[in-house]
Amino acid sequence: MTPDKINRLGIVAVALFTLLAPWILPVFVDEFWVDIYSEMLIWSLLAASVNLLFGYVGLLSFGQALFFGMGMYGVAIGIAKIGLGFWPAFGFGILLSTTMALITGFLAVRLTWHYFAIITVVFSLIFYFTALSWKPLTGGDDGLSFTMPPIFSFGEETAISLTDPTVQYYFIVLMVGACYALMGVVLKSPLGRAFRTVKENDMRAALIGLNVYMIRLTAFVIAGFVAGVAGALFAFFGRYASATYMFYHVSGEAVVWAIIGGAGTLLGPVVGTTLLITLREELSDVWEHYLIVVGVIVIVVVIFAPKGLGGLWMGMVNRIFDKSANGNQPKEGGE
Amino acid sequence: MELVIALGMNGIVWGLIIALIALGLSIIFGLLDIINIAHGDFFMVGTVLAWFVLDTTGNYWLAFLIVPIIGFAMGVVIEYTVIQPIKNAAALSIVATFGLSIILQEGVRATFGAAPTRLVPPIQSTIQMFGLEYEVYRLFAAAVSIAAILLFFGFLHRTKMGTWMRAVRYDPETATAMGIPARKIYMITFALGFAMAALGGVVAAPITTVDFQAGVDILPFCFMAVIIGGLGNLEGTVAAAVMLAFFEGVMASFADPTIARIGSLCLMSIVLLIRPHGIFAGATR
Amino acid sequence: MSPTQILEIEDIEKHFGGLAALDGVNAHVESGKLTAIIGPNGAGKTTLFNVITGILPPAAGRVKFLGQDITNKPVHEISKLGLARTLQIKSVFNGMTVRENLWIAAQSRDGVFKPFQRASASSRANQVADQLCEELGLTQFANQEAANLSYGDIALLEIGIALATEPKLLLLDEPICGMGPAETEQTVEKIRNLAKRIDIVIIEHDIEVVFEVSDEVIVMAQGKVLARGTPAEISTNAEVRTAYLGDDDDA
Repeated sequence: MTPDKINRLGIVAVALFTLLAPWILPVFVDEFWVDIYSEMLIWSLLAASVNLLFGYVGLLSFGQALFFGMGMYGVAIGIAKIGLGFWPAFGFGILLSTTMALITGFLAVRLTWHYFAIITVVFSLIFYFTALSWKPLTGGDDGLSFTMPPIFSFGEETAISLTDPTVQYYFIVLMVGACYALMGVVLKSPLGRAFRTVKENDMRAALIGLNVYMIRLTAFVIAGFVAGVAGALFAFFGRYASATYMFYHVSGEAVVWAIIGGAGTLLGPVVGTTLLITLREELSDVWEHYLIVVGVIVIVVVIFAPKGLGGLWMGMVNRIFDKSANGNQPKEGGE
Repeated sequence: MELVIALGMNGIVWGLIIALIALGLSIIFGLLDIINIAHGDFFMVGTVLAWFVLDTTGNYWLAFLIVPIIGFAMGVVIEYTVIQPIKNAAALSIVATFGLSIILQEGVRATFGAAPTRLVPPIQSTIQMFGLEYEVYRLFAAAVSIAAILLFFGFLHRTKMGTWMRAVRYDPETATAMGIPARKIYMITFALGFAMAALGGVVAAPITTVDFQAGVDILPFCFMAVIIGGLGNLEGTVAAAVMLAFFEGVMASFADPTIARIGSLCLMSIVLLIRPHGIFAGATR
Repeated sequence: MSPTQILEIEDIEKHFGGLAALDGVNAHVESGKLTAIIGPNGAGKTTLFNVITGILPPAAGRVKFLGQDITNKPVHEISKLGLARTLQIKSVFNGMTVRENLWIAAQSRDGVFKPFQRASASSRANQVADQLCEELGLTQFANQEAANLSYGDIALLEIGIALATEPKLLLLDEPICGMGPAETEQTVEKIRNLAKRIDIVIIEHDIEVVFEVSDEVIVMAQGKVLARGTPAEISTNAEVRTAYLGDDDDA
């Protein structure tokens, strides 16, 4: 057994749980948790897009909600205004968010550090206010709802549609799973390693001949794509789109999920999102002002475990295997 | 036309208040290298404390004295418990202050309540100027903001503490080597930033609403002033705040205020991309 | 232009504020020789390296590498032409393993925009990384994070990263700065061996080391080239002695 194998086992466990959740969850908790769990999966994708940028390329985006919102509106406008079918609308949402990521990223990744964080917020705010005031298209404050078109229809009578809860659950699982698989492949590729060099030391990366700007832009577009898929799925899930989901607080929440789960680990965002949404669902009944607890958790994690729960877990696994492997000298960790 | 003048004047008054708040944001960024997402909430806490002082004592003027002091004290506590421990993880400062923002907002909602409240200004008379009846309290608010801003610049340039703050901002390592207590300076800077935002809250409370979400609206505006004025350029921040508020005020008289806001945000992104040190950079250096 | 001139520097100027860091530098590097640049602090040596590698744009002048004008080219493109460098403050990818450090540098030659290929399947980069680990004596640390290495090993790794890009010219900025006597000796030996394969320009403060390893010495002072010649010529140059070596004797 190696740390690598342990982590792979973890991924398999999460995947198995996710596949069997519609049967497992009702055994322990109320059935609506299946719905909540699929919502968590969608939100975890938004956190994953933050994580892809911050955890692997070292860019802290506070504006990922923009691409989430684009995915949402793409689907809602596609169905309600243009009259697209299920798949074209889905594609339209993702195309919209990816294009938006390409355009804003073209400008944003010229900046780094705090300036990058600020400009991502600014961009998301510009489109947030635009969506608010462009009422005929977006519905403004009220949002834009639509009726669900079928995924496939066979003649007049039979159709597969997300209105069937089981279909909806597995559709979300499939799409979310595909996104994680895509990120997993990319992160293990030469490009994924190039991402890490840019995070570690962008000057050195440029000096060995890597085009740092293009690497950052590529990461930004992939992150925008992932956030867009999340937004499109969330539009299907709620049957509507709203500008509220483009506000910087939504981006902020995604950052919080990613950091608490552990930036720089593939499953960190899932852990962080699941934990905090569970907390919300459970605590909000007990104490109306549970958000104070969330705020405290955020600060405590940042201070005491800046690598998040994923980082704690990896540290623990590595320590166990270090001991059993050489047993003698504990390594001095360079911070 | 009268509407344009009135909204333009409101814009300038509001801009001066924003300038006061944004100065706090700017010194915290300049010295501590921290993007303070909670800064809008410091302002919001100021408005709520002002309401509280009025509610308990019946005297609004007391708030001008008490609230900045409470703000300063809260700043000291927050700096010690939250900011100092994350000094070495600057990238995460945004996340930590976001957590702080959640705590402050939810804390106010839990104690003060969720419903926005309006305060009666302590001066209710109006004055005839530029052909319109203008509220005297707004003029007073502008005067207090200007006085506070001047006092702040005086503090920065005329006192030992102010000189130390400038030294730490310029070169923290040399300053520390020269025996300047950098840690104390960080704490005072942060607390001062809170106190200024809180004072802004007291000044603004009678002309806006007291609401636990007030900080969320004001934060982007403060950031625009700081960025357009130039990060760390304090005079630029003041000028940008007044100009932006005037611009948005005038715009609002003939267009949707949201459009005005989008215009300011676009201006801000252009400045960020082309002149990251602000539109006044080069004029001073 | 002589074909043996691998690097040509023409009238390079660079100002910081009102200060001229480089004030019309003219120099060339000949292929097959180990060239050293010496000079007092603030002479502009590192600034010159920064201009050559594209980190800083010059205010005026031209840099030619292998006969090609590389002035104002982006850093990564200059690297791709075969110019590598180390930095005065050791610069590696701290959070990555030693092997990954070398691997990515080697892979940079084959391109990294391959999102659907497995990194571990890149056989050429794997081979280069393993070979360099062995050559530099870092094999035992291959799977450790670079941050955990000793100072001397980090310096070695940085040279290894530069070598993995298969450069034609290697610029070393104070490679033995901060090393103990034993490490210094080892590193100097490695540099001397390397010089047999590739062209090297070295900035160094330790005059003994410079005179020991170099074939050609360029002396800089106050943003200008003061003198140039073989170590023997330089050590007897009166102007250099007063400007630079004299100060060194006092120390």
